[in-house]
Amino acid sequence: MEELRELAKKLLQEKQVNAVVGYECDRRGVRPAFVDDPAGCDRLVFDHRCVQNLPAYLSPRRTNVAGLGRLAVVVKQCDARAVAGLIRESQLKRENLVLIGVRCGGVAANPNESRELGAETLALRCYGCSGTETAMADYVVGEPKTVPAAGGDRDARLAEIEKMSPEERLALWKEWLSRCTRCHACRQVCPMCFCERCVAEKTQPNWIESSPHIQGNFSWNVTRALHLAGRCVDCGECERACPAQIPLGLLNRKLAKIMSARYGFAVTDDPSTPAPIGSYRLDDGQEFIL
Amino acid sequence: MSRIGVFICHCGENIGRTVDCAQVAQAMGELPGVVHSVDYKYMCSDPGQALIKQAIKEHNLDGVVVGACSPHMHEKTFRKAAAAAGLNPYLCEMANIREHCSWIHEDRAEATEKAKGLVRFIVEKIKYNRPLSNIFIPVNRRALVIGGGIAGIQAALDIADGGREVILVEKESSIGGHMSQLSETFPTLDCSQCILTPRMVEVAQHPRIKLLAYSEVESVDGYIGNFEVKIRQKARSIDVSKCNGCGECTKNCPNKKIPSEFEQGLGFRTAIYVPFPQAVPNIPVLDRDNCALFKGRAKGVKKQVCGKCATVCGRRAIDFDQQDSFITEKVGAIIVATGYQLYWIGKEQESEILHGYGEYGYGTIPDVIDGLQFERLASASGPTGGKILRPSDGKEPKKIVFLQCIGSRDRAKGMEYCSKICCMYVAKHTMLYHHKVHDGKAIVFYMDIRAGGKGYDEFVRRAIEESHALYLRGRVSSLTRNGDTIRVQGVDTLSGEPVSIDADMVVLATAMRPQPGITSLAQKLSVSYDLHGFLNEAHPKLRPVETNTAGIFVAGACQAPRDIPDSVAMASATASKVLGLFSNEQLEREPLIARVDRQTCTGCFHCERVCPYGAVERFEVKDRKGNLIKVIAEVNQGVCQGCGTCQATCPSKSIELDGFTDEQIFAAVNAL
Ligand SMILES: Cc1cc2nc3c(=O)[nH]c(=O)nc-3n(C[C@H](O)[C@H](O)[C@H](O)COP(=O)(O)OP(=O)(O)OC[C@H]3O[C@@H](n4cnc5c(N)ncnc54)[C@H](O)[C@@H]3O)c2cc1C
Ligand code: SF4
Ligand code: SF4
Repeated sequence: MEELRELAKKLLQEKQVNAVVGYECDRRGVRPAFVDDPAGCDRLVFDHRCVQNLPAYLSPRRTNVAGLGRLAVVVKQCDARAVAGLIRESQLKRENLVLIGVRCGGVAANPNESRELGAETLALRCYGCSGTETAMADYVVGEPKTVPAAGGDRDARLAEIEKMSPEERLALWKEWLSRCTRCHACRQVCPMCFCERCVAEKTQPNWIESSPHIQGNFSWNVTRALHLAGRCVDCGECERACPAQIPLGLLNRKLAKIMSARYGFAVTDDPSTPAPIGSYRLDDGQEFIL
Repeated sequence: MSRIGVFICHCGENIGRTVDCAQVAQAMGELPGVVHSVDYKYMCSDPGQALIKQAIKEHNLDGVVVGACSPHMHEKTFRKAAAAAGLNPYLCEMANIREHCSWIHEDRAEATEKAKGLVRFIVEKIKYNRPLSNIFIPVNRRALVIGGGIAGIQAALDIADGGREVILVEKESSIGGHMSQLSETFPTLDCSQCILTPRMVEVAQHPRIKLLAYSEVESVDGYIGNFEVKIRQKARSIDVSKCNGCGECTKNCPNKKIPSEFEQGLGFRTAIYVPFPQAVPNIPVLDRDNCALFKGRAKGVKKQVCGKCATVCGRRAIDFDQQDSFITEKVGAIIVATGYQLYWIGKEQESEILHGYGEYGYGTIPDVIDGLQFERLASASGPTGGKILRPSDGKEPKKIVFLQCIGSRDRAKGMEYCSKICCMYVAKHTMLYHHKVHDGKAIVFYMDIRAGGKGYDEFVRRAIEESHALYLRGRVSSLTRNGDTIRVQGVDTLSGEPVSIDADMVVLATAMRPQPGITSLAQKLSVSYDLHGFLNEAHPKLRPVETNTAGIFVAGACQAPRDIPDSVAMASATASKVLGLFSNEQLEREPLIARVDRQTCTGCFHCERVCPYGAVERFEVKDRKGNLIKVIAEVNQGVCQGCGTCQATCPSKSIELDGFTDEQIFAAVNAL
């Protein structure tokens, strides 16, 4: 922790950056912090409650953040995939950014329960993660840590749903999606949802019905998931943000599996890996072409 | 409220047989916004079109839907008719009730219902059509021709004679291509050089042709009317502006035993050389790999070795330190005429799909030669002065066996196509042989004789009847050395007898293949090619000299095996296409292309990645003070082909095709 604070202080004092984006803790738990004063660096923390994907603040659409000037951002290994995604899709320039890679021992599925981290409390996305810093990092802080062993099969739920008949699946999703209030929290929190104007807000034509009716809810949630195929960085923030507790992660996960099976694509923190949209290999499946 | 007119065509019986056109017209008349709906036997006929024009005026229509055949057929017709009546042509659309309906269904009632759906679809779409106007793109009225064989020469001369500037790029040190190596040419037996050299000289002297010999295309940017081409001028080691072609250097070069490419290895040249006496430009080139001076330099010898040529050159034109140089040319059209090479039967092949002929000794038997080598032997200016002599011992062969279809039409060797010209030149070779060696015997093994063409079959008959060539139908299974002859073992399939002949020489009519390096050139040009590397034409029947990339054309043997008449005809066809393109200062094209909504584009550039034509560019949005606000996508109007891939990909729906906007598609889909 001290190492992180000292580094942040140094970066601010030396005017290498105008602000540091990290985590702080108050009585309600951990939350993102924007520190632009060396004195404020002592607020910074990093532990297993730091679930948020901070690169979500780097979208050029967040003009208030962009207005802070040059930023240093605290990134876990998984967060770095979002930075890579934003660079790949021309939203960011690597040279305009300082990345502070943190060594991570896994984060909690539910950060508000300040229990010890263990197999039961570990977030699904940490299953099998090494916790090492990202190769993109400019600075690395923290001692190497071990992520607790996984508490079972990450995809058990998905496998159960895959076994259902299409009718059963539809019924299940109908039930889940009927709860959607179209608050768009999933979109706001997503680091890869950076459109100027979301397709859900397009009115001429109105592709996606805007009232929270099951039909429009289906269009919205399916479109959101499909727009993230091969782009989702698997940070799990959409599902965590959803006030209606819809298991959106299942959709993302299923798509990730299809991307890997069909196109051999796995989300990575290497910005030079081509985005699956718009790249092709000669052996790509094309059985759908008649 | 719209005022739409619907016109349902019977297409004679084509649609009327399966679709109740009157019923469709009546049903469409009841749709909101439709003020006029009729059916007619032939909408595309003059009276049919008149019906549309009249209705536009009478009913003050603001949209016309023609339910008929494919828009590929008649969209232009009906749009012109609408325009003639004062309606914006892009407010006229077609619904395809023929290919999409009547031709593929049998049940009349069901087909009629489907036809209604198809027309209704377009009626709803057209309510959101906006008037569009054609786009004009400036055209740089100069052409680039790549390859200076007969095809390239012809194309360059035709365009230059038509009044436009041409840049002719040839990779060798002289133009002329393979035709310059031929002795006499079928089907008239006129001397190849005699008809070719005047054309070569014309190229050199033409005020509107800029000849860049010993040069290659490095890169190509841009699009129809506006290409930018970077050309590498390879180092000749000679200052072209000083050299007067006196030939002193070549005479004095001590290195005289280098196999000549032009003579197909049957003769020799010096290290500094002109490939053949009639070369254009008549300027030598220094072959650095074989030059003593450069070999010395490579070995690191301090003292200069040789340098004889520079000493004797009175004009001090020799420049041993010359480097490759680059120039950039702006042109509006490109013609590719890079020609062919002959297949080689050796063991080593440049592609996995090709295989050599082990049964013919993989090219190691000295008196087994190919057609071009025979041309050189028969040529008066060739290494033997036009006498037919064996390469091995210089004796006159009294029995020559010619084998056709070597590689061609042979899937096992990797080329299933027919090389088209071999039947003809083998017949020519037997005649030339007969004229030169009266007591010689020519025996030809063939699979079929393919001599389609004016005077072609007569030519082959002459070879058989007047030059007494013996034609045996069948294949040869092996060629082996037998003393100083070659044992030819094969079968005459007409008699069913095995044949064994001891020949003095064997000539293989090997397959025609595209030039080496064609695929990398094709990739620079974004022109597609087939499995073998022959360039693809846009349509085998209706657009034979165009490619799929607008503004790029093909001529000659780079597109498929071709003889001289075909190559020249193609070349003139490309020239007429190019001159047509250059007839206006601007190119007019349909406005059905993609447009970016600058407000909402996020600059993710998925569109750039998916666009198959490279039409998406980057555009910097700046504020009044010039500060960069964002970088977004912009569509180059000249390049976009309106395929719509970007529209389907853009996550924020910020790029749309005019004429196929989201609103139009949405309305249409909702009508189903
Ligand atoms: C043995 C034999 C006998 C024949 N006899 C006859 C006959 O009697 N009558 C007849 O009609 N036809 C005959 N032909 C066919 C004739 O040779 C061809 O039809 C003709 O040469 C095709 O012309 P072309 O310009 O397309 O190609 P080519 O003659 O091959 O010319 C292509 C030119 O392009 C140049 N080039 C290639 N690649 C590049 C590049 N990347 N950049 C720049 N320049 C490049 C080459 O150096 C060459 O100069 C014969 C062919 C053979 C093999
Ligand atoms: S895909 Fe859409 S948002 Fe992305 S750059 Fe292209 S037009 Fe802009
Ligand atoms: S419509 Fe097709 S050609 Fe035009 S910009 Fe979009 S993807 Fe490229």
